[in-house]
Amino acid sequence: MMSPVMIIIFLLPVILGAYAYSRGDESFKKGLIRGLEQLVIILPRMICALIGAEFLALLIPSEVISQYLGNDAGLVAILIGSLAGLMVPSGPVISFSIAATFANAGASMPAVIAFLTAWSIFSAHRILIYEIPLLGVSFLRVRALSVLILPVLSGLLAMLAINLIT
Amino acid sequence: MSDQYNTTPTSIPLKRRLHILLRASFGYTFWLFAGFAILMGMICYSVLGPEIFKEAVSNDIDNLLGILPRVVAALTLAGFIWILMPRDKCSKFIGRYKGLTGLILAEVAGIITPGGPSAAFPFLAIIGRAGADKGIMVTYITSWALLGIQRVLVWDLPFMGAEITATRFLVSLPLPIIAGLIAQQLPLKIKLGGDSEKQ
Repeated sequence: MMSPVMIIIFLLPVILGAYAYSRGDESFKKGLIRGLEQLVIILPRMICALIGAEFLALLIPSEVISQYLGNDAGLVAILIGSLAGLMVPSGPVISFSIAATFANAGASMPAVIAFLTAWSIFSAHRILIYEIPLLGVSFLRVRALSVLILPVLSGLLAMLAINLIT
Repeated sequence: MSDQYNTTPTSIPLKRRLHILLRASFGYTFWLFAGFAILMGMICYSVLGPEIFKEAVSNDIDNLLGILPRVVAALTLAGFIWILMPRDKCSKFIGRYKGLTGLILAEVAGIITPGGPSAAFPFLAIIGRAGADKGIMVTYITSWALLGIQRVLVWDLPFMGAEITATRFLVSLPLPIIAGLIAQQLPLKIKLGGDSEKQ
């Protein structure tokens, strides 16, 4: 079964690819090469992380996760999720493996979303490698203060959205 | 990490490029992840028994087969956007607008910026020097971090599934603009270096 999301995902590259091809320059070839290169770089680690995360989710006692991050934990789960997201100082492979493990082990959706938001905007490797060298500490200060509330806010909005639907 | 690598320059011979790519994909972090997967598998086998282990392996294979086509499609899309997007024009365009229109444009630009931080942060530095205010800068980078198309298609969707991905995307839509509005209210200046201070 193809969901509408899947159809869009497969249709978009075809449309853009057709456009790139119609330009008659090197765009089509360059785009394909760029995609292929990223795939080669990402795929081996992604496969290992997914397999490892699947096993880990079976091993972690799900009572522990659902107690602190589950639906019953409510706001506390959102706060713990946000704090956990701040503490993952690395790229998407690790953070998404952790998020998937949490979700499979019974963490609530708002907690998982707060975790991913916190990691997305505060991951330390990006701040150290890109933000400070390219934009400086004064920008980091303004940005950090501006986005501080977003992890908890995203969790609360997710909770609200889920309550509205169900 | 994977999203820090740019396309290898076409001037380098093919064999050398392949070598660089394979070094990036099978670097030491790969072996860490491989070790992690094998260790978890072994613990799983010994603690939970061969039955559950077999079930987990077949789940893994199903998962991977489902995810692979989506990742390929998402990265192909990102590759085309990467090549087709006129970065210079975009940065000038965004720098020209102020107020809410500017914030909305910055959010859209963040969503469609393909690639990892090695693409987004240099672009941010460019729009900052092209005259974008601090609200627009904060909105852009927050939008890229939370809603960037490559992030959502390559990572969210395969790892988290459609339901969590869609919910996260929708509830995150107002967040970059909220952050931008807060940034505009903060009584702090930004010094970008070689450039005048921003109020």
